[in-house]
Amino acid sequence: MAATKGESNALAQLAQAALALPILALPVKAGAAEVGEIGFTLLGYKERGLMTIVEPVLWGRAQFMESWEVQASAAVDIISGASPQLVSNASGKPVQTITGASIEDHRGTGDVKLTKRFGEFSLAGSLAYSKEEDYESRAFGVEGRLDLNQRNTTLIAGYGQSKDRVGSSDDPTLDEPRDTKEYMLGVTQVISPTALVSSTVVWTRGEGYYNDPYKLTFTFFPSGPPLLVPDVRPDHRHTTAWLTRFRNHVPSLHGTLQADYRYYSDDWGIRAHTLEVGWQQSIDDRWSIRPALRYYTQDAADFYSPTVTRPPAAVHSSDQRLSAFGGLSPSLRVILRSNDRLTFEGTLGYVHNAANLHLGGSGNDAFETLRAYYGLIGVTYSF
Amino acid sequence: MKIVVLMALAAFTAACVPVAPYQRAFLARDDMALDGNPGYMKAIEKTYSAKEAASGGAAVGGGGCGCN
Repeated sequence: MAATKGESNALAQLAQAALALPILALPVKAGAAEVGEIGFTLLGYKERGLMTIVEPVLWGRAQFMESWEVQASAAVDIISGASPQLVSNASGKPVQTITGASIEDHRGTGDVKLTKRFGEFSLAGSLAYSKEEDYESRAFGVEGRLDLNQRNTTLIAGYGQSKDRVGSSDDPTLDEPRDTKEYMLGVTQVISPTALVSSTVVWTRGEGYYNDPYKLTFTFFPSGPPLLVPDVRPDHRHTTAWLTRFRNHVPSLHGTLQADYRYYSDDWGIRAHTLEVGWQQSIDDRWSIRPALRYYTQDAADFYSPTVTRPPAAVHSSDQRLSAFGGLSPSLRVILRSNDRLTFEGTLGYVHNAANLHLGGSGNDAFETLRAYYGLIGVTYSF
Repeated sequence: MKIVVLMALAAFTAACVPVAPYQRAFLARDDMALDGNPGYMKAIEKTYSAKEAASGGAAVGGGGCGCN
């Protein structure tokens, strides 16, 4: 005898909950016979006085043949405006200077990931490619996940490799390699019916060309001629990034706490902390809002200085992205579930990076405050 | 901060009670996902990483960027 509609809905919801994983490849929504999603996102980013970026992203993911899943995305960065190229103390103190005409650059990226599930174990392989006028990157990754303890615990291990080519739109002869190996270990643990935590560590070992071919430092001295020095960085970069993420739904408040913390360190002397806390509040069955605040702080690289010494050091950069500074970034996202298949999202955010936001004070005085706004709109269709 | 995170992780793990499949409805919510919408994650990633020295921590195999 066929099941009634009410029994079918209850069975569907129970099956969906039973299949729920600590990390869902596809969020399951009650009532939809879902095998995949496709979506489109558009980012607009504007720095005060500097760069503007527009980035459309097309993405999709789908399950097939019961134990396979494929994910893919493609994006184009359309960059225009100015990027600081010179740090000069001609005015008496080091300041960033834009020396050239406004730029316009396009960067295309694409990636695909294929996952196969073998009972409690899944194995994924991914490929990524990006190309812009002065940079090309080819990468692959392999990732394994093992579910234990009735899928309350998931162990994660991964390996990736990237082979990049660095060029310069100012110097057509520049064509240098940069190769990176990546290693990842992690664990996700369900804590309760409403909370989970995930912690992953990624180590990278990079060798090759790290200089920024566009950055220069121009330093005047009390006596003698000034020095104009190009950006020269070490030929290796070893990094550690430890990311811990916590999610806790509070049913009585119809909201979910989302907290992410990342510790970063590298052999350039940089230590950084990133903390983002968000609260996603359901307004009703269709509308949600998510206010969030992100705080970032980093120490300076060992070879960073806004001025050069005489004679200049073998390794030196005045790129303020390597200096000591901190940043606050509030954002607000609004989510509308139009029906079981369509979801719309809109996000507005502000980025404020400044020397006086460095943890513990003592940010670099030469750091020029960055003020930027961004907005994203997105639509997702489930099928 | 690292010690605080380690202690919190240890406390969370010690407090864990196995959650049966029929109790996992809340865990299946969109807002409980560790990663957001893939389009949003891809677009927002470089918003911050292009202006900061730190990056990574969530995945491998993503490739590099000439973010000048």
